[in-house]
Amino acid sequence: MVELERRGIPTVLFTAQTFVHDAHRSAASFGLAGLPLAVVPLPFTNQTPADIHGMAERAFDQVRAGLTRPVEAPKAVERPPLDERLRYDGDDLLDAWGRMQADFLVRGWADGFPLVPPTERAVGALLRSTRRGPGDVIATLEPGFGIATVEKLAINAVMAGCGPEHLPLLIAAVRCLAEPKMYIRNKAMSTGPHAPLVLVNGPKGRAASLNSGMCALGPGAPSASNTVLGRAVRLTMMNVGHTYVGVSDMDTIGSPLKYSLCCAENEAESPWEPYHVTRGFAPDASTITVHFVYGICELHDFRSTTPEHLVQVFATAANNVAQVGTGLWLIGRRADPRSKTEEKEHNTLFVCPEHAQIFAKAGWGRREIQAALYRAARLPFRTMILNKEPKAMEVAHPELAWLADHPDLPVPIVEDPTCFDIAVVGAAAGRGAYFYGAGEPVTMPVED
Amino acid sequence: MARLEILNPVARTVEHSVKPASRLATLEGATIGLYWNMKAGGDSALDRTEALLREKFAGTKFRRYTGSVGWLMRHCTAEDADRIAAEVDAVVGTTAD
Repeated sequence: MVELERRGIPTVLFTAQTFVHDAHRSAASFGLAGLPLAVVPLPFTNQTPADIHGMAERAFDQVRAGLTRPVEAPKAVERPPLDERLRYDGDDLLDAWGRMQADFLVRGWADGFPLVPPTERAVGALLRSTRRGPGDVIATLEPGFGIATVEKLAINAVMAGCGPEHLPLLIAAVRCLAEPKMYIRNKAMSTGPHAPLVLVNGPKGRAASLNSGMCALGPGAPSASNTVLGRAVRLTMMNVGHTYVGVSDMDTIGSPLKYSLCCAENEAESPWEPYHVTRGFAPDASTITVHFVYGICELHDFRSTTPEHLVQVFATAANNVAQVGTGLWLIGRRADPRSKTEEKEHNTLFVCPEHAQIFAKAGWGRREIQAALYRAARLPFRTMILNKEPKAMEVAHPELAWLADHPDLPVPIVEDPTCFDIAVVGAAAGRGAYFYGAGEPVTMPVED
Repeated sequence: MARLEILNPVARTVEHSVKPASRLATLEGATIGLYWNMKAGGDSALDRTEALLREKFAGTKFRRYTGSVGWLMRHCTAEDADRIAAEVDAVVGTTAD
């Protein structure tokens, strides 16, 4: 709508009360803080037509005013304090630290867990781990268009508990977040629980002691490095990207995965080439892959000894229409209209080493698993369309209108076989993980 | 007494500025675009809004739009915005949930 205002067309937006702050913040970030709204008490979703009509009637005066009354001066928008140094006094340093924690929570800068104080000395130690200067700009990070300097990343990394070895990894992760195809604005601000799954490949991950084996996704001491790196990504999304809950992160229910979700691939126990090689990188390269995911389902199977049987079990995890990405291709592709990028909905599988060996012994690689899973992970059209807007399907795929006449026809849950990303993670025993993804993964090299 | 001095974690932002469009003197005779982002229920709200505008403002005309890209939400591209701007005097949208 801001783009229409820019073109001289007055606009007014229906907005549910709960999204008013978000709408103002979003419009402000695009440069028009005073964009008129017609505020209704509830989102239109899940309401009856009669209830929606009632809300539209009660908001009608706002619609009329929005199109005819001069737009008020932009409302004040929160800005980061100009003071780049913050001081907390207390009876002793522990007391001062407590005051810092309390203040950061009030300001919305904390994830809820205690933070490591980003002192100049601690931040300086991280800055010495990269050839980049403190003021180098890695990216402009949406949704708030925050300027991601190396120093700001280092500050947030220290707060998360990171050491110098993590900063180059965080820089690569931020480059993933800022890639236009990531469309982070959508994932950061959504009502859905989008969590950045961070997968590390290569020697720099091993040097940083990233865990790829037992309990790789934590908690516990073996995964301490994973935990702090994943946490640094979240804090960076908040304090650099300005993704703040209730303001620019409208996640309705939240997710523990959003605190930290990070591990390395178990390249040593994988029968296949490392995951990042499938993404076009050299085997000895170090990379970070970020894939936003909604949720996780266990891939448990102690009985199967054949690939075909395993794939049947895996497909039951995929066949979950309550998960938003399942069959979403029927109504289009996630797309950023500014960069004109489009994403297919991918899902990531962490296959445990034992299951990977079952596949490999039968001569199966990733491609064979993807193809078999694509065939097995299907749901009847009538089930797949249950929670999707039929008119959106008419627009996205008018050529598939005939499916309505074949409601029992099994339909694939993803657009094509490559929409299953497969990495080997975990320890012995037949338990892996299936991540319901949001859009496509992005991989970036870790700089020296 | 002790003092803890730390560095501010919050990044400065790139600021954008867009001048709001001039509002219409009257809605009578105006061509109104009704933009639905395809989220469930938004079309019903626009249906009722169209009926009310027709009832209260003589000569109003309407054009329906959705974005040319997207999935759960369909988004307006620059080309879509150009086209809409060329065809209507004002827009009522359901894009903010």
